[in-house]
Amino acid sequence: MAELFDLPFEDAEPAEEPPHERRVYTVSELAAQVRALVEGGFGVIWLEGELSNCRLWNTGHFYFSLKDAGAQIRGVMFRSAARSLTFEPEDGLHVLVRGRVTIYETKGEYQLVCELMQPRGVGERQMAFERLKKRLHAEGLFDEARKRPLPALPRKIGVVTSLDGAALRDIVKVIRRRFRNAHLVVRPARVQGEGAADDIARGLAAIARVDGIDVVIVGRGGGSQEDLWAFNEEVVARAIAACPVPVVAGVGHQTDFTIADFVADVRAATPSNAAELVLAAKSEFAARIERLAGRLRASVRRAVDTRRASTHALEARPGLAGVPGRLASMGRRTSDATHDLRAAAREQLARRWRSTRDLLKRLEQREPRVRLANATTRLVTADARLRAALSGLTAHAAQRLGAQAARLGALSPLAVLGRGYAVCWAGDRQRILREATPDLVGQPVTVTLHRGELACEVRAATPPRAAGSTMTGNGVERLE
Amino acid sequence: MEPTTKDFESAISELESIVKTLEDGDLTLERSLALFERGVELSRFCHARLEEAERRIEVLTERGELRPAPASLGDDEPDEPERGR
Repeated sequence: MAELFDLPFEDAEPAEEPPHERRVYTVSELAAQVRALVEGGFGVIWLEGELSNCRLWNTGHFYFSLKDAGAQIRGVMFRSAARSLTFEPEDGLHVLVRGRVTIYETKGEYQLVCELMQPRGVGERQMAFERLKKRLHAEGLFDEARKRPLPALPRKIGVVTSLDGAALRDIVKVIRRRFRNAHLVVRPARVQGEGAADDIARGLAAIARVDGIDVVIVGRGGGSQEDLWAFNEEVVARAIAACPVPVVAGVGHQTDFTIADFVADVRAATPSNAAELVLAAKSEFAARIERLAGRLRASVRRAVDTRRASTHALEARPGLAGVPGRLASMGRRTSDATHDLRAAAREQLARRWRSTRDLLKRLEQREPRVRLANATTRLVTADARLRAALSGLTAHAAQRLGAQAARLGALSPLAVLGRGYAVCWAGDRQRILREATPDLVGQPVTVTLHRGELACEVRAATPPRAAGSTMTGNGVERLE
Repeated sequence: MEPTTKDFESAISELESIVKTLEDGDLTLERSLALFERGVELSRFCHARLEEAERRIEVLTERGELRPAPASLGDDEPDEPERGR
């Protein structure tokens, strides 16, 4: 075998190297010589290319490849040099490096021992960014006055982002957690690389035309500055500014600021945050309704309590103290009326209870089969509390009202009307007349009889000192 | 903008004023129960508005058509009857 390979050499250079004087290198010798040749031939050079296979070892050494369309070379930055990197090197980044070309003898590879690395083009891009920002700012595209408020109850929420990116998943997650019913319309768009900016801009224009969309979220998840670059392009800025509905930008992380963030009506820290902001007003409304329902409940309870208290006070009045005995026999007569009153009260309360229960039932029918959204949970809790309180209140009130009505009925001074007494009211029925004063002459009065009422007008008033003042008047006076 | 929001806003401010009136007290029982009833009605309306959006994710295609989103989006509840509407 060896001869076969040797033959051509012998043919080409037969005289220079006779077989017995053949110079045979060991692999190591060759490597050492090539290394000396390469190192001597190049020295320290500058090299530019695209990073790939980036790998930072625990030891602190940073390994990578640099490539262009036709070739690649392995490179290493040892720990001391890697520590001084001013940026995060990552695959795809175009960089400019300074280092020595050498041979890694053990592997037979040539490589670059790199001592300095700078992102290539970042400088120019940064300048372009600043220029565009300044120009759009001068045009007024970032003005606070242009910012539109987000709709409180968005009917449909538009989203312009990559269909398989983390951003969309995060947005869906947040929206589902807060309100299980939300209508999303997604316009897929490439969010990085060639053509991404145009894609996003066209997406914004298209989604704004969908009927019922009140707000649009545009953005993407975290990435390198380069990944986010589409959101720094003028076409995207213009599309956001031209969008007929408010736009929320959620690009990358909290620390990433893009032109899109400045133009958007609302800048969100992340896509998740964008979803939260879009629903913030709705959540706020839910909380407000919850608070109002609580106050509504409390005020009705107070109203019932107050009346209960005044019924007690009425019972306790000394003037009535002697009445029960006298009225006891009359009690039975009023029991029918009492029954009616109680039934009416129950019916009224039951009606309210039923309508509340209808509402609750409707809510329950929509009970989620999946986890409840945060705010919805609060609403449902509030409903449960409202229901519990109402049922308590209703039962309690019905019971108390029934009892009070029965006692009130038994005690009612009106019960004596059955015996032929009458009550005379001033025309406005706000007070009972106890004294025949001259100013009443010509005034309308109402006389309550056992059955029905009379509308009367006072023709004359006899002063109280005169004998024969009415028995009713005396009776009332005695009661005082 | 959207009529629903406007209705909702006015419902919630009416509810607010009802609660205030009730809290200020000095009403007949009849009146406060009527207000309470109206309050419950309004809070029901507000709840309904909050719940009213459909649970749905759609994708707007290049050709301007709306298609259901792929299941991979994690919208794990199919909710077919809603979709059928």
